[in-house]
Amino acid sequence: MVFTACEDIIDVDPEFQKERSQIFKNLEEYEYALTGAYSLFRQTGYFGSGGQTTGSWSVLPDMMTDNLVQTGEDLGNWTNQVNYFYASDDSDIEIAWTAAYGVINQANLVLTNIDQIGAAEPKRVNRIKGQALAIRAMAHFDLLRYWGESYERNSSAKGVPYKTEFSPEELPARLSVKETYDKIFQDMTAAEAALSDIDVPSINASTNRGYIDLLVVRALMARMNLYAKEYAAAENYATLVIDAKPLASKTEFPGIWSDASLAEVIWSVTFSAGQGDYGSGVHAASSNRNRFRPSQELLNLYDPANDIRFPVYFATRQSQNVNPPRPIYPGTPLVYTSGGTLITRRILSKVVRTNGTRYDNQLNWKALRTGEMYLIRAEARAMQGGAKAVLGLADLNTLRAARINNYVPQVLAGQNLLDAIENERRRELVGEGHRWFDLKRTSRFIDREDITLNFTAAQLDPNAREWTWPIPQVEIDANPNISGQQTTGY
Amino acid sequence: MKKHVLLFLFLLNVLGFSAMAQNRTISGRVVSAADGLALPGVSVVVKGTTIGASTDVEGRYQISVTGSPTLVFTFIGFSPREEIVGTRSIIDVRLADDAKALQEVVVTSYTTQNKREVTGSIATVKANEIASYPLGSFDQALQGKAPGILVQANSGQPGAAANVLIRGTGSLLGSNQPLYILDGVEISASDFATLNPADFESLNILKDASSTAPYGSRGANGVIVITSKRGKVGTTRINYDVQYGLSKAPENRLRVMNTQEKLDYELSQGNPYEWTDEDLARLRQINTNWEDVFFQTGKTSSHTLSASGGAGKTTYFLSGSIFDQTGTVRTTGLKRYTGRANVTSEAGNFQFGLNSTFGVSKFSGTSEANTGIAAPLNAVRWSNPYETPYDEEGNYTEIYSGQPNALQELLENSNSRRQLKGVGNVFVGYTVPFIQGLSLRTNWGGDFTANENTTFFNPTTASGSSATGGSGSFARNYGSNFRYTGTTSISFKRDIGADHTFSIGLFNEIVNNTGRNFGFTGYGLGGAFQNEAGITPGTSDNGFIPAVNGNGFENALLSYFTIVNYGFKNRYFLDLSARRDGSSRFGADRRFANFGSVGLSWIVTAEPFMEGLTNIFNELKYKISYGSAGNQNGIGNFEARELFGRAVYNGVSGLVQTQLANPELQWERKTTFNTGIELATLQGRVRSTIEYYNAVTSDLFLNRQLSRTSGYNDITTNIGELRNRGVEFSLEGDLVKTPSLTWSANVSLTYNQNEITKLIGGGQTEQIDGITINRVGEPLNTLYLVRFAGVNPVNGNAQYLTKDGEITEQYDPADRVLAGSTQVPFFGGFGSSLNFRGFEVNAFFSFVKGNKIYNNERSNIINPTYLWDNLSAELTREWKKSGDITDVPYSASEYQAEVTRLVESGDFLRLRNLNVAYNLPKHWAQSIKVQSIRVYAQGQNLKTWTKFMGWDPEITGASLIGAQYPALRTVTFGLSVGF
Repeated sequence: MVFTACEDIIDVDPEFQKERSQIFKNLEEYEYALTGAYSLFRQTGYFGSGGQTTGSWSVLPDMMTDNLVQTGEDLGNWTNQVNYFYASDDSDIEIAWTAAYGVINQANLVLTNIDQIGAAEPKRVNRIKGQALAIRAMAHFDLLRYWGESYERNSSAKGVPYKTEFSPEELPARLSVKETYDKIFQDMTAAEAALSDIDVPSINASTNRGYIDLLVVRALMARMNLYAKEYAAAENYATLVIDAKPLASKTEFPGIWSDASLAEVIWSVTFSAGQGDYGSGVHAASSNRNRFRPSQELLNLYDPANDIRFPVYFATRQSQNVNPPRPIYPGTPLVYTSGGTLITRRILSKVVRTNGTRYDNQLNWKALRTGEMYLIRAEARAMQGGAKAVLGLADLNTLRAARINNYVPQVLAGQNLLDAIENERRRELVGEGHRWFDLKRTSRFIDREDITLNFTAAQLDPNAREWTWPIPQVEIDANPNISGQQTTGY
Repeated sequence: MKKHVLLFLFLLNVLGFSAMAQNRTISGRVVSAADGLALPGVSVVVKGTTIGASTDVEGRYQISVTGSPTLVFTFIGFSPREEIVGTRSIIDVRLADDAKALQEVVVTSYTTQNKREVTGSIATVKANEIASYPLGSFDQALQGKAPGILVQANSGQPGAAANVLIRGTGSLLGSNQPLYILDGVEISASDFATLNPADFESLNILKDASSTAPYGSRGANGVIVITSKRGKVGTTRINYDVQYGLSKAPENRLRVMNTQEKLDYELSQGNPYEWTDEDLARLRQINTNWEDVFFQTGKTSSHTLSASGGAGKTTYFLSGSIFDQTGTVRTTGLKRYTGRANVTSEAGNFQFGLNSTFGVSKFSGTSEANTGIAAPLNAVRWSNPYETPYDEEGNYTEIYSGQPNALQELLENSNSRRQLKGVGNVFVGYTVPFIQGLSLRTNWGGDFTANENTTFFNPTTASGSSATGGSGSFARNYGSNFRYTGTTSISFKRDIGADHTFSIGLFNEIVNNTGRNFGFTGYGLGGAFQNEAGITPGTSDNGFIPAVNGNGFENALLSYFTIVNYGFKNRYFLDLSARRDGSSRFGADRRFANFGSVGLSWIVTAEPFMEGLTNIFNELKYKISYGSAGNQNGIGNFEARELFGRAVYNGVSGLVQTQLANPELQWERKTTFNTGIELATLQGRVRSTIEYYNAVTSDLFLNRQLSRTSGYNDITTNIGELRNRGVEFSLEGDLVKTPSLTWSANVSLTYNQNEITKLIGGGQTEQIDGITINRVGEPLNTLYLVRFAGVNPVNGNAQYLTKDGEITEQYDPADRVLAGSTQVPFFGGFGSSLNFRGFEVNAFFSFVKGNKIYNNERSNIINPTYLWDNLSAELTREWKKSGDITDVPYSASEYQAEVTRLVESGDFLRLRNLNVAYNLPKHWAQSIKVQSIRVYAQGQNLKTWTKFMGWDPEITGASLIGAQYPALRTVTFGLSVGF
């Protein structure tokens, strides 16, 4: 009789996954894990855009401000963010928090034991480690942008927990803003050092800007120092980047937005076919739903005839036939055709790829550009005042001259210069994930003049609690060390 | 089957020992005392020996005896009869109908027991009660049929499986599905669309530790043992059943606005579409009922042809069927073709057999249980009544709000599944000739399922235009799953003296389940084809790069166990079991666990002191059992391990961590105490059971919440403890029984109390997950919401209660409180049937009482910010001006959904089945050379009484998410002919 006695029956191993014990045995496998960390930037909670949620560090910062206007075509998604209804149980806020720490976790896995495993190849270790450190620092910085109660370099207000090792059971408390910055800059400095001494001539191929190399680290340093109001450092790092990566020419500029040109692109997070996109929350291109349109107050900032950004950043697109004639939402002109009505809507074409008559959102996320570096340096110099302010004005004029035909340099100083830089940031960086944080950094005031939906919140006051996101309720529930540290006001 | 198994057992014995004695031959004929018809398959045994025979098709038997022994005639459903041979050589016997219920044989697959001996809790559903129900998935027919089993049809889509729960929710993360065994082979739960219930002979529902002991590693959620039909030696029977019918969607209890209401509402909200007076005049002429647009009258037709019989030592059952049902949502339906062959035979000391079924089904579905805008079942509520699906020229309209035209989505896209299924087993048994009572058996069976899912999105539809490349898509996914179960046993059975019966079995069992799947999605559809031929090959420029996928899994179980049965004086019975089970899912050191059970039963009426009362209590049995079973289903195949999956970035493949390790992960353990009474009275016409159980699940799989700074939400851990305890009652019987009139009734009631007794250590006593909470002392998944306290008459704002009961207008999640249990505490069914001279009327009701449902489907249409689409009619009474007293807040106030305003009662009572039939008198039928003719009409779900605002309150889980496919209301007419 067949008495099966062999316990091999239940020795079953996964074929479509790897176990920890099978990997991290050589640097090749550390590179696999680094690739995994990059892939997590595409999460819905980070740069990716789900059908109904987030794009936390891509499109959401514009949706939440006066740059973009929610339309009826969106059917009430992002309502809590757009209208500042959020409480600690908001699911998108939880998704963003977890997604950023997910990136950090994967970066920490890359950093675990890498020095021992790669002892024979220190320069290769530097290349992997430098990227992982920069990823870790950047994700923490992005967390600080939403959850930091202040951006002051030495503020004792609440920052975010900083994770430096793979330790899922750890229950970390919030650091102060200062402590968070300390660790961010410590990692960034280490990343800069590591990436200065690597085993290959260049991390990015000449046709690709998908990976974090020394240039990306310096660009991130410029941005971080600007937030921290370390203006001299911001200026220095921006200069290093600008010198290495000049502004795009007027002929190159449009190609950036169809991924045809890498001119002035410092870091571009790759979204390939089937890997989602960052922009369908603003304009779902293939289904032609203009969920958020550029606001009239933003459009009014441009000189449409001469500013080359205007036709590149904005386009019009007709709705599908609406029969009988009706506007899809108010305030749009009607165009009568024999079949019915075609409504022409203004769209943010930074999120749309046009391919003949087809539209999709298949674009890489331009995380860092030289244009931003000019604006960082202009602001850092203006804030330092004196002779530096004059240089700041020159930066502003250089950028404008690169973007505007027949541009005549202007002379501005003091608050006028700062206001001009702020407006230029809106013009240059709309849809690139800055506006909410810029407002939080500066005026802490939102006044939307152009609104489509009657329930869209028009204003957010400087003292509103919503400028800083609440710690997700699930984190409060699971982590006793943070439960007493909820963001002020929640 | 029951008859057959008994016969089979006796045949085993006959084969083994027929050489022992041969003196003279007795022959005779056995007939039914009631109608004088021949009884084939009656066993005839020489008392005190294992010598026996059985009757042939004409009721005739022959048996060799020595001396003047006593012959015992037994046949299921009839009282046994003893005849002293004396000098007779011909003994004709008339067997009377059995008055006692406990004699029935119960098949638990590994072993067959007389019901009298059973110490555990087993409910039996006779398959003929449900065989004719016009349902694509047979599990739906079990609703209310037996105590302790809660069956909820989540979907009315033809072929969709129900959710079946035996004695409450015993696991939070793990599976709660019972184990389904068909002829000894595990079959996949919730996947019955390709099985024909008319092939089933009986369904036994095993509920406690003693009865599920043979399935220990898989039996924690109860076991449903299905036995398919067998042939009988000597009788060849051919049956043909045909049924035709119609289905309708149920009544809607969530009314949306009509054109006048919606337009008036829009105008009161600032006329968002800026209708002109001219527009309004035109639109007011239109009033589309979107139910009429999406719903249709479904049609059902079903044919089953079967043949059964046997000759010599071989029996067979063959059947073939066609089932074709279209749903109430257009384009949906199920078509099924099945075949079955069951053969058993014997040769010498060997018994062997084959049971096999195979089938093909095609399932055409629509998306359900979501809040997607393209789902027709959402559009039926969301589409504005002043719009139409087609314009005057017959073209699809564009919906004003920009929603897809859901009718276009439904008709132009398709989503279907072709399933190929084969379930079969072979067995070989050997009765060891030289050791009396020793036998060996091995049974190997497999369940193979192959699914081919096809999804086509037409480029002209919204879904098609939002596909990659914007020009439609075509996806085909193929998945196959094969599970094999091998059970090998050695058993020994012996009676010691007149008073002791003893048997022991040693078993080994392995189960392996392996699945593979792969598929592709191609883009750029647009030519003449709606299949692979229509896909445009992808290039880097055209945006039509296809997506491919593939995956696979494997898991396995290994068990050793023993079962011991002991009986004393045919009055006291003891069942013992012990087992050791291993599962591939757990940590290396945690794979094996031990389980066991003990059960006792006592036939009280067999005691001398009951003699005077046996006229009242024809049979009274007391039983008690205690034991444990394991659960390892429902968690990942490699849940204990730290895993890394594929990641791709920038065209380069890498690895990303997908799961944290928990090497401590082990079996979830369910320990059940069961006790009860079985009673037969009124000459056995009325039978009743009452049982109490207390089932504790320990080492509960639970998501231990992690700090999200880990990048993870939680990790699966054995923490927590859960208890289900309850009382079950069943009663069935013939209240009136005369030769021409039978009136019978049945009732089945269950009360189950679900309670979390332990959660996470460290003082944490609750876990919140969305709108529900798990808290010690409360049932699982209790709703946890902020209390809605009406509308402030002054400003129209929604008001809430704070935790302390103060009225506030500020919504704060910190004010959430318990807002009702989503577990069903009280449910059951009852029915009655009347049989008068061949006419039968049968009505069966089922009900559920005491649970709460969060109605998210309603939330989707009472949120005033969804103004662009149609809204619930209840918004017409929203607050408009100071002083208004209403329960609907001002439209511009903040809408919060996680509040008690959306909690509704899940109570309902449903007329599940109504059946009217006529059996032609036998002599009429026989005059046209057929054995029997039955004509009938039946209605399913004809009427439901409920207050729930939706199509159907029969929902599993805490929330009705949206896009509900309601259960069908079906009327069918059938004819059944036996040749």
